Amino acid sequence: MDWDKLVQLLVNGLTLGSVYALVALGFSMVYGILKLLNLAHGDVLMVGAFIGWGILGWLGGAQDPSVAVWLLIGLMVLGAMVGCGFLGVAIERFAYRPLRRAPRIAPLISALGVSFFLQNSVLLLFGANFRSYETFDLVDVEVGIHWGPLNVWAIRIMVVVAAVAMMLGLWLLVTRTRLGKAMRATAFDREAAAMMGIDVDRVIVKTFFIGSALAGAAGVLVGLVFGQINHFMGFNYGLKGFTAAVVGGIGSIPGAMFGGLFIGLAEALSVGYIEDFTRGRLGSAFKDLVVFLILVLFMLLRPQGIFGRPEVKKV
Amino acid sequence: MRRGLIAAAVAVFASAAVVTAAVARPTQPAAAEQVAECTNVSLGDVGPLTGPAAFLGNEQLSWLKFAVSKYNKENGTKFKVAQGDTQLKAPVARTVARKFVADKSIMAIIGPSESQAVIAGAGLFEKAALAAVSESATRVDLTNGQFKTFFRIIPHDGIQVPTVVRFVAEKLKAKHVVVIDSQDDYSKAIAGPMTRGFRARGIDVDRESVAATDTDFSSIVANVANDVSVVVFATQVASGANTLSQQLREQGKKAVVFGTDGAYSPAEYKPKLGYVSAFAPDLHFDPKARAIIREYNAFSKNRTFGTFGPPAYMAGWVAMTAITKACADGKATRAEVTKFVRQTNIPSIIGDNIRFTAKGDVRGATFAVFKVTNGKYSVAS
Repeated sequence: MDWDKLVQLLVNGLTLGSVYALVALGFSMVYGILKLLNLAHGDVLMVGAFIGWGILGWLGGAQDPSVAVWLLIGLMVLGAMVGCGFLGVAIERFAYRPLRRAPRIAPLISALGVSFFLQNSVLLLFGANFRSYETFDLVDVEVGIHWGPLNVWAIRIMVVVAAVAMMLGLWLLVTRTRLGKAMRATAFDREAAAMMGIDVDRVIVKTFFIGSALAGAAGVLVGLVFGQINHFMGFNYGLKGFTAAVVGGIGSIPGAMFGGLFIGLAEALSVGYIEDFTRGRLGSAFKDLVVFLILVLFMLLRPQGIFGRPEVKKV
Repeated sequence: MRRGLIAAAVAVFASAAVVTAAVARPTQPAAAEQVAECTNVSLGDVGPLTGPAAFLGNEQLSWLKFAVSKYNKENGTKFKVAQGDTQLKAPVARTVARKFVADKSIMAIIGPSESQAVIAGAGLFEKAALAAVSESATRVDLTNGQFKTFFRIIPHDGIQVPTVVRFVAEKLKAKHVVVIDSQDDYSKAIAGPMTRGFRARGIDVDRESVAATDTDFSSIVANVANDVSVVVFATQVASGANTLSQQLREQGKKAVVFGTDGAYSPAEYKPKLGYVSAFAPDLHFDPKARAIIREYNAFSKNRTFGTFGPPAYMAGWVAMTAITKACADGKATRAEVTKFVRQTNIPSIIGDNIRFTAKGDVRGATFAVFKVTNGKYSVAS
C-alpha cells in the first residue's frame, strides 16, 4: 500500500467533498421545505464564483491585491454569499413562487429555464473563456502543511475549515434559533405551520437566501482551490451536489454534509485506485462511473439515503 | 415521492434533449453543383467559440475576421464570416456542419478547428463539395484520403509526436513519464502513439485520462510517482494544463507539464516551468511579423494571441483567394472553389508558401517546442 498516495487522495477527497457538501445543503434545504429540486442551484454556485472573481479583480487581482490576502478572501466569500443570497431570493420570487400550486413538473421546467438563463447571462457578460483566480499567485503553494507524505496547501485547509464552519453554523441555525424552528415546522407541514402563525413565505425566502448564499461561498471556494471558473461549471457541481444530497438523505442537513464528503472521497479514491481494482481495465477517466453507480445503488437499495427516513403515507 | 420527483427530473432532461434534437434537425444539404452569386459569399468558421477551448476558437475567429477585413480592403471584395460554435463537442460540430452545408452563401469552411469536429463534419462537407481548410486539426488520419475536400495548413501529429518524444528523451532526459489524454479524438490519437514512442526509447510510461471539462487534477497528480520528470498532457484546454502544473507543485512533485499544441496559450498556460509544442510559429518571436501584428492590434480588441490565430488568418486567405478565382466569371460552384483551394500557392505569414499535397496536407510544415518560465515563452527547439 502506497500510504503517501492514500493520504494525498484523502486530502483531495475532503476538499472536494466539502464543496459538494455545501452544494448538497442548498439542495436539501430547498427540497426539505418546498419538495422542489432546484436544478439551478449549481448555476448559483457558478454566479458566486464569478462574483468572487469580480471582487478579486476589483481589489487589485491576485498578483497585486490592494488589501491583505485574508481580508480579500473574506470579502470575496462574503460578497458571493450576499450576491447569491439575493439571487436565490429573486429566483424563488419570479421562477418558483408563481408555480407553487402548479403540478410538480412545472417548477422543475422553470428551474431548468433559470439554469440556462444564468449560464447564458454569464456567457454574455464575461465571455466564453475560462477565468482564472490565479490563487497560486495569491498564496504560494509552499504555504501550508508539508509533513512527510502530507502536502496540504493553505488554501485547501481554508476551504475545508470554511466549509465545516458554514455547515456547523447552519446546523446551529436550524436547531437552535426561532428561524430554524420555523424552517423545520414549514418543512414538516407547510399548512399547519401557517395555521400556527408562521409566515411561510418569509421562511421560504430566507431558506432560499441561506441555501443560495452557501452555494455562492462554495463557488468562491472552488475558484480558490481549483483556480479556474467558467459559465458551465455549475452543471457538474450541481449534479455532484444533488448526488451527495440523495446519498446523504435529501432533506437532511447532516445527510447533506455526510453525502458531500462521501461523494468527494469516493471520487478521489476512485481516481487513485480504480485501475488497480479493475486490473487496468478501467482508468481514472471512469471516476464519474463510480460516483453515479453509488447514486444508482442508493436509489435501488436505500432511496431515503443514509440519514433520511422512509416516507410514511396515511392510507 | 422522492423517486417520483427524481424520475420527473430525468424526464425533464430527456424531454429537453429530444426538443433540442428536433430543433437542430437539418435541412437538406445544398447540391455540390449549385451555382452561387459571387456578390454574397461567406466563409463558415467552425470552431469552439464557447466551452473549455473557447480561448482558441475566439482567437481564430478574431484573426479570420482580420483576414477578411484586410482581403476585402485590398481586393474590393465583400466576403463575410458566418460563425459556427462547436463547443468542443463532436455532435454539435455535426449540427453546425449541416447548417453550413445548407447555407448557399457559404462557399468554403474555415476549420473545423478540432480533429473530432473534422471527423464529425468533413463527410458532409465532402458530399457538398465544400472545401474545409483547417487551421488547427492535427490528427494524422484526417488526411489519409478519407475526406477529399479537407485541407489543413498546419502539420499533423505524425510530426508532432516524434518531435515531442525526441525532445523529452534527448533534451529533458526523462526516464519515467506520464501521458494524459482528455478523452477526445484529438488527444487519444496523440497519447497512444506518444506512449509507444516513449516505450520504444526505453522510457517508462504511465497513462492517465481526464475529461476535457475537468478543472481538478489533484487526484491524478497523487498518482504521479516521485521519479516522474515529465507529464505530457494531450489537451485542447490550456487552462487545464496550467492547473495541472500548479497542482503538481502543490503536492511537491518535481515533474513538469509538457502540453501539446492545444495548450499553447500565453494567457492561460503560464506555469513556473513547463513546455508546450506548437504547430505554427508564434509571430511575437518573428521580427518580420511586426507589421502584421501592428495591423492586427489596430483591428482587434482581442490583442492577446498565440499560435492559433495566424493559421486561421492564412486559412481564410487561402479560401478567399480560391473563391475570387472561382468567381472570375461572376458565378461559382463549391466544386470550383475546392479545385482552386487544391491548387493554392500563396505566400504565408507563418512559414513558406502554402501548397497542399494530394491528400490535403500542407507541404514543409514543422512543429516547434517552447519553454515556459514563470509564464514567459521562449523557443526551445
